This record gives sequence, C-alpha cells and structure tokens, in this order.
Amino acid sequence: MKVAVIGAGGFIGTRLIEQFHLGGGPTVVALVRRPSSLALPARFSLETHLADALDIDAMARAISGCTAVIHTALGDPAQIERMPVALCLAAAAAGVRRLVYLSSASVHGQNPAPGTDESTPLKVHQSLDYNSAKIRAEHKFFAECRRHSLVGFALRPGIVYGPRSRWIGDLATDLIEGRAWLYEGGRGICNGVYIDNLVTAIACCLHATDDAAGAYLIGDAEKITWEQFYRTAAVHLDVSWKQIHEITRLPAFKRSWQDRAGRAAAHPFVQRLLPLVPRGLKSRARAVLSASALAPRPDSWTIPDRPGPRITQEMALLQQCAWKFPHTRAEQHLDYRPAVTFETGMERSFAWWRFAQGGVSFAA
Amino acid sequence: MPGRVTKTAITELSTSPSTSRRIILVGCGAVARQFYVPALRALQNAGLVRVSAIVDPSVTAREIVARSFARAGQAASLEQTTAPAGTLAIIASPPGFHAAQTIAAVERGWHVLCEKPMASSVSAATDMIAAAQRHQRLLAVGLYKRFFPASRYIRGLCRDWLLGPLVEFSIREGGPFRWPAGPSFFDRAQTPGGVLFDIGVHVFDLLGWWLGEPAAVRYADDAMGGLETNAFVELDYPDKVRGRVHLSRDWPTAQQYRFVFERGVVTWKVNDANGLTVQLSGASASLQGTLVAAQAPPFLAEPRPLESHAQCFILQLCNVVAAIAGEETLLVPGEDGLPSLRMIEQCYAHRSLVDQPWLTSAEAARAHEFSASVGVTS
Repeated sequence: MKVAVIGAGGFIGTRLIEQFHLGGGPTVVALVRRPSSLALPARFSLETHLADALDIDAMARAISGCTAVIHTALGDPAQIERMPVALCLAAAAAGVRRLVYLSSASVHGQNPAPGTDESTPLKVHQSLDYNSAKIRAEHKFFAECRRHSLVGFALRPGIVYGPRSRWIGDLATDLIEGRAWLYEGGRGICNGVYIDNLVTAIACCLHATDDAAGAYLIGDAEKITWEQFYRTAAVHLDVSWKQIHEITRLPAFKRSWQDRAGRAAAHPFVQRLLPLVPRGLKSRARAVLSASALAPRPDSWTIPDRPGPRITQEMALLQQCAWKFPHTRAEQHLDYRPAVTFETGMERSFAWWRFAQGGVSFAA
Repeated sequence: MPGRVTKTAITELSTSPSTSRRIILVGCGAVARQFYVPALRALQNAGLVRVSAIVDPSVTAREIVARSFARAGQAASLEQTTAPAGTLAIIASPPGFHAAQTIAAVERGWHVLCEKPMASSVSAATDMIAAAQRHQRLLAVGLYKRFFPASRYIRGLCRDWLLGPLVEFSIREGGPFRWPAGPSFFDRAQTPGGVLFDIGVHVFDLLGWWLGEPAAVRYADDAMGGLETNAFVELDYPDKVRGRVHLSRDWPTAQQYRFVFERGVVTWKVNDANGLTVQLSGASASLQGTLVAAQAPPFLAEPRPLESHAQCFILQLCNVVAAIAGEETLLVPGEDGLPSLRMIEQCYAHRSLVDQPWLTSAEAARAHEFSASVGVTS
C-alpha cells in the first residue's frame, strides 16, 4: 500500500512517517508546501513532492498512484476552510478514493457539554476562529467526498501530545520559566491523545471498510485531568510544583482590533486583492500592526515580580472542560485500540524533549 | 539582513581599491538573494564593484536578482558568460557545483569567492585550490563569520588566555528550518549532507580557527537513509578540553556558544556579530554588551560599536576585492576551507545513529538498518 501524507513536515506528519516507515507500515509519499519543510521527512529515503495543500494540480500529480491520502496540513482559518475542497478535487483527479482528514475535537469546542459525542450537532459560531474553521472544513470535506464518491474519514483528536508537540514544548517552557498555571487546581479534563495512538487510528482508517467512513473522536484510554498532565510533566522536568500559578479567576478575553484586522486580511477576498496594494503601503500597515501589538513599556518604578502566568483563551477554555470525549464509535467501527498508555506517552514525550535540548549521551 | 552601507563606512571597514571590480554572480538562490545581493548593491552604489553578469539556469531566479543590477547581463550557465581576466566570480550555487564552476572560472582568468561549504568533498576542494594556484588566481571561501568582532574576541580569549585556559565549551545552534532554500538543499546529488554540512561548516571553521584540530571526535546524527536534521558532536582537545556541539533543523536550540575558561564564562548568541556576555569567576552577575572600538584616553568620543552582522559580510567582500588589487592580505583563502570539510568528512565516516528514545524498540532496530545505508560524502 502506498499512501500520501500532506503536511509531512509537521508534528503529526513527522511521527506518522516515522511509524509507517520504521514500523513496516504503508509506503509513504511525503508532500510539503515548501522545500524547507523537507528537513524532517528528508531523514529518510522517501518519495517527496512540493505541493501546496491548496494547489489541486500539484497535489493530484503528487498523489497519483497512491491508495489513500492522509491530510495533516495546518494553515490559518481561511486556508483550513479551503483545504478540504482542494484535497477532494485532487484526489478525484488522481483517482485516489480513500481520504483521512485530520480534523479536531475542537469542532465541539474546548469545553463541550457533558454527553458530547460524534452525533452532537456542531455549532459553527464559536469563540475561537480555529474551531469554526475546522467545523466548516469538516462539512466541506464530507460534502466533497459525497460529490466525488470518495471514502472520507475525519479524525477528531483532542490534545495531541508527543515528540515535537507544542503541548509538550510550550508546557516545558512555561514550567521552566515559571509561567505555567492551573485553573481551580487543574480539575478540568485534559482530552489527550498520545501521537502514536492517533497514528494507530489513522492506520485503522486505511484498513476500515468503506461503510465505516465518517467522523471519529480519538483519545487515549485514560481519563486524565490537567493537574495530572502538568504534574507528570513537572516530574519529568524536575520542576517544583510550587512554581505553578494557581488561578481561581480567569480573565475576560476580548478580540482586539489587531485580531480583527488580521482576520479581515486573511479573508480569501482580501487575499486576492492584496497583490494590487502597493508594497510600501502593506509594509507600513504591517509596521503599525506590529508596533501596536507590543506591550507597553513598564513603569520603571515597579517592584520586580516573579514571571506571571501565560493565560491564553484556548487554554482557559480547555482547563474548564468537564467531559472526557468517548472514542467508542472508533472502537466499534474502526477497531481502534489506544495501545500506548498516558504514562508511557509522557515518558516518551519528555525523552524526546531532553533529546531536543541536546541531552544525548555518546557511547564510550 | 545586510543593511545600507555608505561609502564612508565601507572605506572605514576596508581600504578602498582604486577601481571598481567587475563581478559575476553565479547562483541566484537563497544565499545570493539574502546576502550577496544587498551586500553587492551597497558596494556597487559606493562605486567599489560593478556586477556585470548574473548566472543561473532558472530565468525566474535570475530576474529576481536582476532587479537590483539592471545593467548586468544574464546567462543560464558559466559557459555562456564572457568577462575579462581579473573579474571576480562569486560562486553561490548549490555545493555540488562549486568545484566545477570554480575550476572553470579560474581557467578563464577570473578570481573566485566561493560560498561555503567550499565543495562537496575535501578532494574536490583540493582540486579547486590546485586549479587556482595553477592559474595564479585568488580563491577565497565565504566563511564570513571570521569577520565578526565577537569571533575575533573569542579567538583572542582561546589563544591568549585572557581569562585563563579553556576548560570546556558547548555549542547549540539551529532551529526549525525556515531558510528559503530550494529543493537542491535536500537533493544529495547537489547537497551531500544535512545540517552538519550546512551550519556545521561555520561551526567547525570557527572551532578550528580558535582551537586548532581536536584530538578525538565522536559523532552521531538522525539520518535514517536520508539527510540528518540533528547532529551531535563531542570533541576532545589536548589539555583535557572537551566540547559538545548540537546542531538542529528540527527544534529551537539555545542558539548559543558557551565557553568556560578558568577565570570566567563567555557566551555568544549565534550571529550576534558584535555582542558577548561575560561572567567573571566569582562575580555576582554577568556582563552583557556590545563590543566597541578600543579607545585611547581621554575617552572624549562616544565609543563606536564594532561591525554588525551585515557589515561583516560586506567586510569579507571588501577584503577579497582589496586582496585582488594587492592592497590587503586575503583573510580566508581556499586552503582555510579545507579543515572544516575534513572534520565533516571525518564525522560522516564515523557516524552512528543517535538514540531517539521515543521510538519503539522495533522502530529503533529498523532505524539502525536504514542508518547503516547512509552514504558518506564522496
């Protein structure tokens, strides 16, 4: 079996290729947007192609002869929405019938209502643009699959952690810098999935029957709280638990005018017009935006304080989550079994983190 | 990014040759666009050089560079280019072409500044040096980091023991690969190595320039049938000095050189041409600052910062042009490109697969099989 991986240089694509290539899985054809993204796939002797995930012709050429396509590419909200249509058109043109699209559990929001599963209707208007974009993208994906008679699987993983995951890298940085925080003791549910378990789910989709096509929530076997996630990380990093800020009140998140301007600029219509705008004007607009985004200089008469918590809207919502997403449907229809435990997943994640920090021992 | 440099500033940096030197720029890829174009534009505006031809098989790539040098001719290959003897050819093509293009250039009577890595192998580099000598042409290598005031300062510390003898050092450089490279970067025929063959050239060049040859080298990387994206080196020097190097195109590193001397620790941020941090042994804090020109009493003038990153790149070009004119000694001749290439070949020849502890045991076993198939540079 030969499968194409779109977004082969990203975090999920990288581990997917490692597992398939080293684990005797399907033969991989790696697709990346630009040459620099070949750095990680190029560790192996693989067939690689340059193809933007919005370039139908380039993708169709690259995936020709493959049995399936796995789409792991990232983008801004506007690109996320456009990618599934391009993917399906390319697959239809190349005669590839089976598609695995990496959606996200975020389509249900970061703090879903108890009882949420794949049958729960998705609310398109959400507080995070990313969520809304992923919902629209999934809708388009299935619509296009129906139109072109393709067999489409959309996987909805939660917090995908593992080697090269931002959830590990950013958490390590925050813990070490004293910026990590937990809301109400971290009792919220962390809907985590170790990357290898996600790859297992992807492999299940490659072998599932056509009538299993559809959307699937994917997670680890265990129910883990954010407190457990952070505590395990702190142990691996040898960071004192006292370093973690306790938060009892979350800030209100308002969309700044810079966010609105960025959002407007990302709109496909504006993107089409941008080449007509003089370069100087664009540079000046960018300069104004970046200058206004800078934090004001602190008053020099302030008492030095310990680093503050780095609270993002996404994490604030995630830490309020009270529901562990079920993956019963994936178990029943895909025969999905998350083999790697949370403990092992975190061990491997932080073993990678030490590697990334240069912690390599040489044989004598 | 190389910035604007006035003629006055350049003449301060280097002796100005009497006539503008004719230049042929061979290769219009990322390094040409990011470094050579702005540097040559500044020098051309100052009347020190004149870009007469741009060479690249890609019309698109040539057109981008040609926007900065409207009067320059364009050619798809070196063979289609004519220029009188004494012209300086800057070879900024993929490394696999460096040897053939350099030899062709010197055979035409042109001098050559060859971008790093000088060649795909030591033997190819040796052929280039021999050809330049045979035709009595000047061959320089683009190892511009030697021109950094911070590099020169560290060299002084290592060689003159201003903070006592060196005890150990660590170098961590690189991060997610965002260089606007072309596909040639990952084509073994054109670029026979990964991160070691890229930023490792500068690292080994500086180490050799500062410390001389190591007594022992251990090397491991993560190439599993392809090109490495993480490289780890351990070096032993005489007097029990030990150094560790981690280069990456994968994940952000500290981007820092850390040298521990008997009486202090010096840290240098990668590419901060004129900045250093010094922690004197026993002192309660480190001192971070910009290197400025040494001043004579009574210190009336404001101290002048030494050259910036961009100015050092220009400085190297000025040195090559002045050396051709016989007005300066060439600071990085072709022979100086050999030690770093030798080190890289030695590393590849004795490479082992680095332990990647997140792999399952079955994956690790397969990784070793693939790793054994990785060829050394030839």
